Amino acid sequence: MFFKIAVRNIFAYAKRSIITVVLLACTTALLVFASAYMDGSHARLIQSSVEIYPGYVQITHQGFRDNPSLENLIFDAGQVSASLRDFPGIAVFAARFESFVLFSSADKAVGGMFTAIEPEKEMSISRLAASLKQGSYLTSADDALVYMGSELARRLKVGVGDQLAFVGTGADYSFAADNLTVKGIFQTGLFDFDSRASFVAKPYFDRVMAAENYATHFIVQPLRPEEAATLAAAIGRRLGPAFDAASWQQTMAGLVQAMRVDSIFGYITLAIIFIVIFFVVMIYTLLVIYARVREIGILRAVGTTPGQVLSMLLLESVLLGLASVLLGGLIGGALAWYFHIHPIVFSGFEEQFKQYGLALTAMPTDFAPLIIMRDMAIMFVLSVSATLYPIFKVNRFRPIEAIHHV
Amino acid sequence: MKTTATANRAQDIPRLGRVELCALFLLCLFLVCLPRLARADEAAEIIRQVEERLNGKTAVLKIAMVITTSRATRTMKMDSYAVGNEKSFIKITYPGKDYGITFLKIDDAMWQYVPRIEKIIKIPASMMLQSWMGTDFTNDDLVRESSISRDYDARIITENDQGYEIELLPRPEAAVVWGRLLMGVAKQELLPESVRYFDEEGVLVRTLQYTEVKQLGDRLYPSRWVMTPHDPEKAGNRTVIEITEAAFDVPIDEEYFSKRALQRFSD
Amino acid sequence: MFRTSCRIAWASLARRASRSVLVVVMISMSLWGLLFMEGIYDGMTEQMIGNAIRSDSGQLSLFAAGFREDPGLHRLISREGEITELLASDPRVKSFVRRLRQEGLAATAHYSRNVMIYGVDLAAEKSHGRLDGYLIEGEYGFGAKNKGVLVGARLAEKLKVKIGRKLIVSAQNSAHEVAAVALTITGIVRTNNMALDESAVFIAMDKARELFAAPQGVSQISVIVQAEKDIPALQQSLRRYFGTLQILRWDELYPALMQGRVMMQGFNLVMSLLVFGVAGLGIFGVMLVSVLERLREFGIMLAIGTSFAQVRGIIFTESFILGFTGFVAGSLLGGATLFYFYQQGLDLTIFSEGLEEFGMDVITHAVIRAKYFITAFIAVMLATFVSVLFPLHLLKKANPVEAINKV
Repeated sequence: MFFKIAVRNIFAYAKRSIITVVLLACTTALLVFASAYMDGSHARLIQSSVEIYPGYVQITHQGFRDNPSLENLIFDAGQVSASLRDFPGIAVFAARFESFVLFSSADKAVGGMFTAIEPEKEMSISRLAASLKQGSYLTSADDALVYMGSELARRLKVGVGDQLAFVGTGADYSFAADNLTVKGIFQTGLFDFDSRASFVAKPYFDRVMAAENYATHFIVQPLRPEEAATLAAAIGRRLGPAFDAASWQQTMAGLVQAMRVDSIFGYITLAIIFIVIFFVVMIYTLLVIYARVREIGILRAVGTTPGQVLSMLLLESVLLGLASVLLGGLIGGALAWYFHIHPIVFSGFEEQFKQYGLALTAMPTDFAPLIIMRDMAIMFVLSVSATLYPIFKVNRFRPIEAIHHV
Repeated sequence: MKTTATANRAQDIPRLGRVELCALFLLCLFLVCLPRLARADEAAEIIRQVEERLNGKTAVLKIAMVITTSRATRTMKMDSYAVGNEKSFIKITYPGKDYGITFLKIDDAMWQYVPRIEKIIKIPASMMLQSWMGTDFTNDDLVRESSISRDYDARIITENDQGYEIELLPRPEAAVVWGRLLMGVAKQELLPESVRYFDEEGVLVRTLQYTEVKQLGDRLYPSRWVMTPHDPEKAGNRTVIEITEAAFDVPIDEEYFSKRALQRFSD
Repeated sequence: MFRTSCRIAWASLARRASRSVLVVVMISMSLWGLLFMEGIYDGMTEQMIGNAIRSDSGQLSLFAAGFREDPGLHRLISREGEITELLASDPRVKSFVRRLRQEGLAATAHYSRNVMIYGVDLAAEKSHGRLDGYLIEGEYGFGAKNKGVLVGARLAEKLKVKIGRKLIVSAQNSAHEVAAVALTITGIVRTNNMALDESAVFIAMDKARELFAAPQGVSQISVIVQAEKDIPALQQSLRRYFGTLQILRWDELYPALMQGRVMMQGFNLVMSLLVFGVAGLGIFGVMLVSVLERLREFGIMLAIGTSFAQVRGIIFTESFILGFTGFVAGSLLGGATLFYFYQQGLDLTIFSEGLEEFGMDVITHAVIRAKYFITAFIAVMLATFVSVLFPLHLLKKANPVEAINKV
């Protein structure tokens, strides 16, 4: 009964209904899209910083993160490998050995990172292989071949195929030195990384640096990256107190916090828009309900109770709210989905991202139905509560007053 | 940014055989450069004599160095040729893997030759200055030409039949990191027995002991030097230097102090 | 006549008091939010830019040819005197400082770290970039004998040093020899310019000249101008005089900050458009209904000889009163909020780790600009004006006689 009247009223006051629905739907779409964008871009920023090189879960010997010395290496990489082999939730894991050496080309000597990787596994862990610029990526069998950052190569004035030498300290503190040939040059876009990093295959490194069965750390690629923290904790329990398994949330705590600050400001911004929308919806409801004061007076005069009038008006606003939120959720969701597949490209902002160590410009939105539902629920509550004041206000009129209301 | 967190960390890993470089040059400095006398009071006079006995105008040494960390012990042997504080040439003779690696230091410039890559590498000043953390020596020992009689005011704290304990306080202008040194000197031979290094707050940072005095070349000489750091991070670390052969104040062929020598005397 | 319009307009607004109040509240709330947002966001960007300008680049920086690619004591500005004279006499220049810098090492008995050593004149830095304002501990000075050193906050943490501790600073001097000096830490500075906080030690210019064996020349001359608009012209004229030098604006030295500012401006514009668009819709609804409700009224007025212009005047006045009241209320509210955050600052200490990583201050002081209020005023007026156009159009189309007969 109420439902029919409410629907009839909605259509009878089509203009109000349309404006309300359009407004609310647009706002809902905006909210859904904005949170999808924020979450998406943050996830992307984090993902890209994590995946360029640091990795989701990092296993080190206890104490290495605070004091990265040759005393705190993982001295039995084989045992760690064995423990991780059948560990549930791990997609791939690989050992690395980071060291710092002096590179020397024809007439230049430059300090840089000299890191051993397992090239094949590394492909599914970091974006090193994908950042190839010239030449080619490494394989495990490569002997004395180096894969080098573009800026480092530029500083050393070497290109693919050129020779250079390195001198450094082996894992046993011995002198280590050899001649290398540049196999490939990569560019991640992170200036700092590109100007320092170079990589060689681990079997070769182990031989020249006396690092057989040693590693500075292991990097684990989880099956589900979003569960990195739980996985890190589980790995930590398995490996025991001699090791330290840290997820990216720990290794990159500052970035996580920065993203949170950005989200907070994003929501403050949205809140400002919501306040305005809230008032606009309230104004429109007020206008429409006042236009119907006489009608309501008559209804009351013929015996409708205030409660019934209230229910009827509330039902109207609930229906309108529902319709708008559904429509808006659909539009917002569709946008979120579309830009999830076709990321938004920010050309021209590379500099800024790079300065923050983020080598990317395409930002996909996050398509998360749960978040969309949450946003729709927020908007629904907001839209219905915006109508409460006008509804209660009109219900306070006495019937006679209402009928004579102009 | 945190993407480079790992990269930053790597920077702290000891680089370029720093332990060796440090130790080598520390050694040279200790052996050859404790000259110059400032004040004629008793403590200063003792220090002057100690320095004189410990160093010569030139020194040709055979050295074995045993470096112990919490993880392992390893030994290196080398020949060293030095003239004063300015010039030194070092050749690694053991282990075989490192045989023939040579170093040349003239004033503040430093070169290294590695036979395996047949290359002379000039070590950039920025790297010479970079942290020597993680070793038992500080850069201060190494890069700068520090001299006890130039940088410190000496005072005898205790004296008995066996020896002196001398307190050394850095002069206001001296660029040394220590807050105070305590040096034990044997009375009879006027040779150092130990040096304790304290920071500004009076915390003992490291101890250097001179032991096993025997006849080396023309003089009685402490042939075993032990450096023990006391930082908790370095618990268990120790560097022992043994001087197996020595000749002081002998002429050294100028040839050793040229870049050509790096390769020429490598074999 | 105008007064009549006003009176009628006021009367009809008062008749629908709750509706009018709602519109005013809506406008003031949206203005309040917008002003707050603009002021805080601009405060953030300007603070970041300000930190870079004050602590390092100035608005213009002069370096010797090739210095940025290959910095060192072999590339110093030698025509220092000439440049100083020119800058001192240029009315566009507010202040400038000279700095001498060189990579080096800072060591204590326990730790050592690579640093960038800056030889500075503290008095000049104070009036130039208010370097003293960045001091978080100790005192702003090098002591009587110039033996003090100011250390970047993160560097101090890593070296684990406190005020009064000895710091040995060494560097390769111009003769390629390694020189060292013992200094005492007099102060710790946090500029939130990441590079400086992590690696800078500031020592007295004379001390630096001695340490670096560089009696003449400077590495950098940082210039702050009177008015931002003068920057390009000054850059041009300096380039004409000193063609061989590298003369760069702050946004060339810190391109990311400029992009941040542009991005923020764009963002603020979009937000303003959105908010005023929606608010305009609210005004529109109210004006539309109020015109439609009174079609009969207006019909009678027109029939008894009131000109359409007068009716139009009444409607505009109504709308103007709504908009203006909203603007005043919103400006007062927003202005007061901004003033509070301008003075007290917005304290985000709980996120300090994240903020500092991005070189942002933990406390953001809002910016207040006349521009915000002017733009807002124009936007509100525009919204009130545009929102009555359609109701007026309807009124004009409606036949007054028909209107009178309409119930």
